[in-house]
Amino acid sequence: MTTTKPAHLVLVIDDELAIRRVVRNAFQDSARVIEAGTGAAGIDRAAAERPDLIILDLGLADTSGLEVCREIRAWSSVPILVLSARHADAEKVQLLDAGADDYLTKPFSTSELQARARALLRRAATTTGQGEARIVIGDLVLDLTARALTRAGELLHLTPIEWDLLRVLMTHAGRTLTHQLLFREVWADKQFGDAQQYLRVYVAHLRRKIEADSLRPRYIHTEPGVGYRFATAAEFPRPPA
Amino acid sequence: MTPRAATRHWLTWVIATAGVTAVLLLVRRDLEKTHIALAYLLLVLAGSASAGHRVGLALAAVSFLLFDWGFIPPYNTLAITNPLDWFVLAAFLIVSVVAAELLHRAQREARTAGERESLREANRLKNALLASVSHDLRTPLTTIKALAHDLAGIDDRAMVIEQEADRLNRMVADLLDLTRVQSGTLVSTIEITPVDDLVGAALQRVSGAMPERNVRVELAEGGTLLIGRFDLAASLRILVNLIENAHKYSPAGAPIELLAVRRGAWIELTVGDAGPGVPEAERERIFQAFYRRPDVASDVGGTGLGLAIARGLAEAQGGTLRYLPRAGGGSLFVLSLPAADLPGQYADG
Repeated sequence: MTTTKPAHLVLVIDDELAIRRVVRNAFQDSARVIEAGTGAAGIDRAAAERPDLIILDLGLADTSGLEVCREIRAWSSVPILVLSARHADAEKVQLLDAGADDYLTKPFSTSELQARARALLRRAATTTGQGEARIVIGDLVLDLTARALTRAGELLHLTPIEWDLLRVLMTHAGRTLTHQLLFREVWADKQFGDAQQYLRVYVAHLRRKIEADSLRPRYIHTEPGVGYRFATAAEFPRPPA
Repeated sequence: MTPRAATRHWLTWVIATAGVTAVLLLVRRDLEKTHIALAYLLLVLAGSASAGHRVGLALAAVSFLLFDWGFIPPYNTLAITNPLDWFVLAAFLIVSVVAAELLHRAQREARTAGERESLREANRLKNALLASVSHDLRTPLTTIKALAHDLAGIDDRAMVIEQEADRLNRMVADLLDLTRVQSGTLVSTIEITPVDDLVGAALQRVSGAMPERNVRVELAEGGTLLIGRFDLAASLRILVNLIENAHKYSPAGAPIELLAVRRGAWIELTVGDAGPGVPEAERERIFQAFYRRPDVASDVGGTGLGLAIARGLAEAQGGTLRYLPRAGGGSLFVLSLPAADLPGQYADG
């Protein structure tokens, strides 16, 4: 172990030289960037060099980015940020279900790319285990052992489904969870009938309980056509003590 | 076929029939009945193939009579003495009619298959073009934007390049969306959705572009959860477009009003601004694609596709989008989407 903090290693898989250069420029001060021009080369480099973050273009010449994503996810939990030229929501859902952590739609700005990458790297560093008993995000404290939720110290009452929904969202804070995934996690062991179509309604009720203004949510963010994302603790600046 | 061309067709085949018959008559002595039958059959098929099945059927009938008249003894009468000749003639008639009919059907099927194929090909080309436009234009735009961003600290003009790249991207996106709305492929998932979700996402989406603008939101009285049956992403696109328009056209400092209510079987979302409003003559035209109001500068008006896409999206979800003048000046855009009623157990969590 050296005492200096090693720079992150970022692998960019893209068949466009220009985009690889854009990514390289964006990280020149913060990370070491390695490149692959095809999906196959990308998978090889990911296996050989174990990067801290993979930036993957969906439209590769030799194979689909979706396949590359599934392949890498089969043996690695490295964060994957996908670049896509299309605006199709169905595609985003597919990607997230295939294990991608986040996506950016072209054209994106350099600062957006940096911000998303930072968030993914930070999350990979902190979410070592999901076995924590207490999750603190903003004013919310979720106590998993006591099954209790407080906001600024005040106990909030949740229905069993709201509790499960919040637990899944908060334990995956920062990740966009697709409806399919949320439904699977929340209703896995329940008799659900036609509950799936009311998922959004449950989220609306939950928001009205935990958000100060449910129309300007700070905790549960809607990713239209894709799913929901819970804010990370880093999105709430701590007031100076 | 024009009447003249039709006449010419018939005339050609009358002459051909006469010619064939004349030749056959000349060598009648050396021919058997099978030769005659085959010769006439070829004539029927040729006519049927080149002039359609009505000509084919007529040729079959005429050939039948000529066969009998000229080549079945006694010659030069329609009378038949040998009963076996009846069989020959009947067989000839049946074969020629059936052959003409089959040929006609095969031709028709080949034609429709060809049309279907070219339609499929055109559709495939269109989709490929859309995909490639979206990919091939966005990739260089990403590079331009990123490099301009890097240069922003060095030269102020780089910011203009980045802004223009964004504008170009919006135009590409609008054009793609318009084609998708028109082909009915943009609205995919109509689901039970709370209006909270839609309004919240819209406010979040516009807050970056208009940080100073106050959007005053009013939801149904009593805090009831309003629930509709619509596509969240498509409705969000409409609402964001309406709020951005309101922002563009109303004076700085004037708040934008956003009102959501349940009215019968509908959820009505109204976006109001205190701008100049839309003159009566323009109120329908603003929803047409590529229409730009003559009284608005083109750098304010955008691509002229926003409201056309918005109305297309509203209608694709079974809703409507219409304009109303606002009391006290300004515009109201009213988006109506189908409302949903929940079974009791879902109404309160």
